[in-house]
Amino acid sequence: MITDCHVHWSSPEAPLAATDPSRLLGELDRHGIGRAVLMPNLGLMRADACRAENDDLAAVMAQAPGRILSVGTSWPKQGAEAIEEARRCLADLGLKGLKYHPWVQGFSTADPTFAEICRVAARFDAPLIFHDGTPCYCTSEQIAGLARRFPETTFVLGHSGILWNWRSALEASRWPNIWPCLCSPHIRAVETFAKQARTDRLLWGSDWTGRPGPGADGSIEYRLGVVLEAQMDEETRRSILSDNAACLFPYR
Amino acid sequence: MTKMITIDAYCVLGVDREYDLTEASLLRSMDDARVERAVIASPDRYLAVLNRQGNETLLDAASRHPTRFIPSCSVNPWFDADARAELRACAEQGARLLVLHPYVQGYSANDDLVWPLLEEADQFHLPVYIHTGPPGNATPWQVVDLAERFVEVDFIIGHCGATDFWNDMPFAAAAAPNLYFESSLARPFQFARYVKSVGADRGIVGSFAPISGLRFEWEQMRRMLPPKEYPDVYGLNLKRLLDKGRSS
Repeated sequence: MITDCHVHWSSPEAPLAATDPSRLLGELDRHGIGRAVLMPNLGLMRADACRAENDDLAAVMAQAPGRILSVGTSWPKQGAEAIEEARRCLADLGLKGLKYHPWVQGFSTADPTFAEICRVAARFDAPLIFHDGTPCYCTSEQIAGLARRFPETTFVLGHSGILWNWRSALEASRWPNIWPCLCSPHIRAVETFAKQARTDRLLWGSDWTGRPGPGADGSIEYRLGVVLEAQMDEETRRSILSDNAACLFPYR
Repeated sequence: MTKMITIDAYCVLGVDREYDLTEASLLRSMDDARVERAVIASPDRYLAVLNRQGNETLLDAASRHPTRFIPSCSVNPWFDADARAELRACAEQGARLLVLHPYVQGYSANDDLVWPLLEEADQFHLPVYIHTGPPGNATPWQVVDLAERFVEVDFIIGHCGATDFWNDMPFAAAAAPNLYFESSLARPFQFARYVKSVGADRGIVGSFAPISGLRFEWEQMRRMLPPKEYPDVYGLNLKRLLDKGRSS
């Protein structure tokens, strides 16, 4: 069963119906994708939308059990409030992890509040998913820095260095608590990860945002196509597309 | 009616590190993708340091396949007068496009270090392809600076700043009439948005093979931008730029 480990909810250009997963499920069906890890979008861009979107994400997950695994977010610049919202996401809402976008959310991975969030995530055995590949707050090396400081916490490189910094992500992936998600690297980088990285921790994602208009769904088709086209053995491809995600995000 | 032509704007010929494209394999990929011609460029090492070797390889390959390969050339501006001389030599030997890769070559795209090269490009009517994207020393707005200073030179924003400078693209690419934007790494679904917002007369399709799959990229692009509706982006825009040097 293919798992798309990088899907966004409710982009500002196209707010999805608050808790209706039918459009997303339709897209997943159309591409033969069994499960999706659903992340905030508006909540990553606007602190004032964060809490409500976390609630929505929990409601969406409840409507599609086994198919949608939602993760939440909080805003580390808000200090104690951010730590509490992270706890609420995992403990009260039952979300499966937390997503952070330090570049967009305007915080450094060295932020003391974020250290506490890393501890909270470890306590709940919940992965922290990052946007990575972008200076000055989101380099793969900075996430690897967190992996060194918080060995009990699991970190997902949401883009594996995106395009130009894929070598950085490959280097970061030597840490046992880092899982690279192959969502954005070009085909040659994907092939290199398949050859050189630990293949039992590689994930795949589309970065689908549900934007309207022509090409709205192109991200799933294109990014799934990259992994399907890449030269690698079929066992590795299956690990990337399905088996590894089942380990990191078990259905329970 | 102008005849449709298909040109892949950026393919890397050579075998080095992650690059593994030979003349034969590139021709095969072009045939598979129904692409008539391709601009050929050098792997990173030859952009950064071994300029002469890289340029010679491209010129030789193009001389063997003059109807299929269009030779680019690259020089690292840190080589100063030698870079300028090498660029002149390449232009005189038939190079049709100058490639700059600030990230790999080690400077900011709008650094005055590159101005002497742009003066040469202007003299030979060579369009200038600039790789853009993170970490930030080659961004769409930096290319705009160059386009404003060198108004007679055509600039191609390689990769459309992919990915993190995507927000800038609709404004930057439209900021000067001598700016064009190339699709590789920008992903077809995003490139289509730029074409629709900036204009089909500015978009140029390239694959960046073998970093991306040539056939795969062209198939995806054709699905997103039907060639009958957008013939210019598949070759005519680029041909217009490349032919300026020939008609002078």
